[in-house]
Amino acid sequence: MTDSDNDKTSLKSFFWLWGILTIVGVVLGLYGPSHLMPKSMSPNMHLTILTMVIFTVAAAPVAAGVYAATIYVLRNWTHKGDEPPPPAKPVRENGIIVATWVSISVLLTLFLLIWGLGALAEDNASASSNPLIVNVIAQQWVWTFQYPGTHVESNSLYLPEGREVEFHVSSDDVTHGFWIVQMGVQVDANPGVITTIHTTPNVLGTFDVRCEQFCGLNHAFMDALGDVVTPQQFSTWLAAQPQRT
Amino acid sequence: MTTTLEHTAVAEESQGGGLARYQNAGTAVAGGVLFAFLFWLIARKTMDPTGEAFNDQVTTILGCGWIIGFWFGIGAFNGPMRWLLGRDHSRADDLYYAGHNQGRARYWKYTTDHKVVGVQYIIVTMGLLGVGGLLAMAIRTELIMPGNHFVNQQVYNAFISLHGMIMILALIVAIAGPWANFVMPIMIGARDMAFPRLNALSLWTLVSAASLLVAVAAVGGLTMGWVVLAPITDQNGVGMDLFALTIVVFAVSSTVGGVNVVCTILTMRTKGMTLERVPIFVWGAITTSALALYAFPFFFLVEVLQLLDRNVATSFFVSGGGGTGWLQANLFWLMGHPEVYVILTPAVAACFEIAAVMARKPVFSYRTAVAAMVGLSGLSILVWAHHMFTSGWAPTLGGPFMVTTEIISIPTGLFFLVLIGTLWRGHIWMKLPTIWMFGFIANFIIGGITGIYLSDIPIDNQLHGTMFVTAHFHYIFVGSVLFGAVAALAFWFPKVTGRFLDEFLGRISFWLVFIGVQVTFLAMFASGLKGMPRRVSSYSVIFDHTNLITTIGAYIIMSGMLVLLGAIIKSWGHGEPSGPNPWHANSLEWMVPTPPPLENFDVMPVITEDPYNFREEMVRS
Ligand SMILES: [Cu+2]
Ligand SMILES: [Cu+2]
Repeated sequence: MTDSDNDKTSLKSFFWLWGILTIVGVVLGLYGPSHLMPKSMSPNMHLTILTMVIFTVAAAPVAAGVYAATIYVLRNWTHKGDEPPPPAKPVRENGIIVATWVSISVLLTLFLLIWGLGALAEDNASASSNPLIVNVIAQQWVWTFQYPGTHVESNSLYLPEGREVEFHVSSDDVTHGFWIVQMGVQVDANPGVITTIHTTPNVLGTFDVRCEQFCGLNHAFMDALGDVVTPQQFSTWLAAQPQRT
Repeated sequence: MTTTLEHTAVAEESQGGGLARYQNAGTAVAGGVLFAFLFWLIARKTMDPTGEAFNDQVTTILGCGWIIGFWFGIGAFNGPMRWLLGRDHSRADDLYYAGHNQGRARYWKYTTDHKVVGVQYIIVTMGLLGVGGLLAMAIRTELIMPGNHFVNQQVYNAFISLHGMIMILALIVAIAGPWANFVMPIMIGARDMAFPRLNALSLWTLVSAASLLVAVAAVGGLTMGWVVLAPITDQNGVGMDLFALTIVVFAVSSTVGGVNVVCTILTMRTKGMTLERVPIFVWGAITTSALALYAFPFFFLVEVLQLLDRNVATSFFVSGGGGTGWLQANLFWLMGHPEVYVILTPAVAACFEIAAVMARKPVFSYRTAVAAMVGLSGLSILVWAHHMFTSGWAPTLGGPFMVTTEIISIPTGLFFLVLIGTLWRGHIWMKLPTIWMFGFIANFIIGGITGIYLSDIPIDNQLHGTMFVTAHFHYIFVGSVLFGAVAALAFWFPKVTGRFLDEFLGRISFWLVFIGVQVTFLAMFASGLKGMPRRVSSYSVIFDHTNLITTIGAYIIMSGMLVLLGAIIKSWGHGEPSGPNPWHANSLEWMVPTPPPLENFDVMPVITEDPYNFREEMVRS
């Protein structure tokens, strides 16, 4: 292949490839995260899944562009054999291409940042001035949940639907990671410190609490069950619990 | 010039070397064992046996004995002691230390020739990758189905910690070790590194540290992941002390090596070799070394403080004693994120080099390539707390660290611009290095984009600590860095051995590893998205399909790596002869004979242009 052939090579197939791969990426983005990730039971998790979808859709044309370019290069400009191909036409600089590339990546990054910072603010925003407080105490390899104001202590996490919950998390021994899988919230449980996170369960049903910080021998089995119930069921449950002395 | 020197050398051969004539890896091990034993005896006599830290103290002192004895045995102290006694090296001594006329024995000695050190790094890397890879296979075998089957949890936890640490060490040295030593000095037209003896020191300190990891396994291992953050470290036995010592010594090794590479590039370039005419790989070598000089002192510090906490009851990281584990986490990640770019940058730079030579075209926008590598290194020191988004430490810093982290996608994107720009309209010679380089591109885009998700705090609040993170950084480390490392090996193998890396086996290996990576880590992304935590020995049945697929993929990767090992062994001795310049390239390493003679050049070359002007008549005489 000579240089003049190269110059005439049509870019049409490149753009087709780019378009098709972008569509594949967008479809993956729209269906992948929501299909694979646990069902959402809180606004935080909803926001997490939404952000996954948005980022995947935004990244799709970028990744597709790189793949399309790579495939295009492989289809048009490769040489086989034991003898080296002749030198190609040197292109050392192309200011316009570099500037365009930088501008596009700055714009994309700005979009990620604006979306991300907005989502972060929303994630952190407190919905109510009167949240339900739950103390979460981690120890190797069990979770204990206390409901201040009562003397109830439980190894399962019962939460009322629709009310903001603030978790005060600490540990009796090593660092653990408190994670409500279906609600998209995590914070470390440290000895001697109380860390907090909050979320508002908005779907009735069971959920999982897992330890996500390596904590020794039985780390893999440090789970707890959770249940989001109606406010009435919650007060009934709370009243029926044995009181810790 | 060199010829005259070598003539004199033959005459003086019998007088050169001194003590070093009797020293090699064997005496190093003997010295290590002897000193370890002596130090152990002293520790048992002097430390308080009723004290809480008695076992830690004895182990730490024993470990120090191994290190010091090993250094004595290999000959690391010869030079400084002779200097102190006023008996500096003669020319004959220097030639002896450079491994002159010693055949294969020089690979087992404290040899200063940068080409010998480069080959030693290849061997060390392969050894580390082999052990780390076996551990990976043990881990994936255990995870083939839910429940604990093959190894008990304690052993499993030790496996994941050692797998992590060994692979991190392997990847840090995988490209910079062999090629910043073997080819970089020739590329810039130098006779050797700026500090040849420091070069040997850096290699053998690494060996002394890596061998301590074996001892870590022997004394019950390390059971809390390679990041080893307090307070869980308190629950680990004496393996933790040896582990911390390993890191301390490793930090010395990388600092010594980093200083050497930076000084060599800044001061040893031949006439006309301006910083804009050096092959682009040289820029990769200097940015990665400079970054290592910033990062690894934190690693050194964090493990020294940890040793003090364990051995003499200080409380830097002990909450309740005025310290905090968050201090340790910060120090650790101040090292931990730059370290990722210490690992990645040489792979990127090697791919730039390979792309240009194989496409018969200059690197597209050389200055963009330099700016991207330098910019990425600079940014990487400002992002460490993204590893602590969910720790509860300083929530107000979440936003700022999210901003710095996401800005990293700009220089990273420039890597793709340079690579694709270089290949575009090239005449791409599809040989083994080219193929692995394309694998790098394909995998790096996935590794890069999945990193963007994790930099976003609302997403990190879900995916942190899950297999999604594991899959992400394996796309970077295996999919990108390992592919870059194999590409670099295939590219420069002919310069080391005079033979091609077997093209046929190399291609089989490529396809196995490439397919294996997709199968393994795409399924692992799915496990993570579904909510499977990292570092678990067992898991809920909802993750069973994706884990089975991941394990199958891991076996495919392993078979590919075994084929690659076979290719290396076969080609080293019996590969197809390559001649001095098999890729018809212009940079200086291809202008010298293969194997390059001691001190590389007969006549120092003078440079008038960068090495990317490919011409019809490419092989300069
Ligand atoms: Cu835990
Ligand atoms: Cu990082």
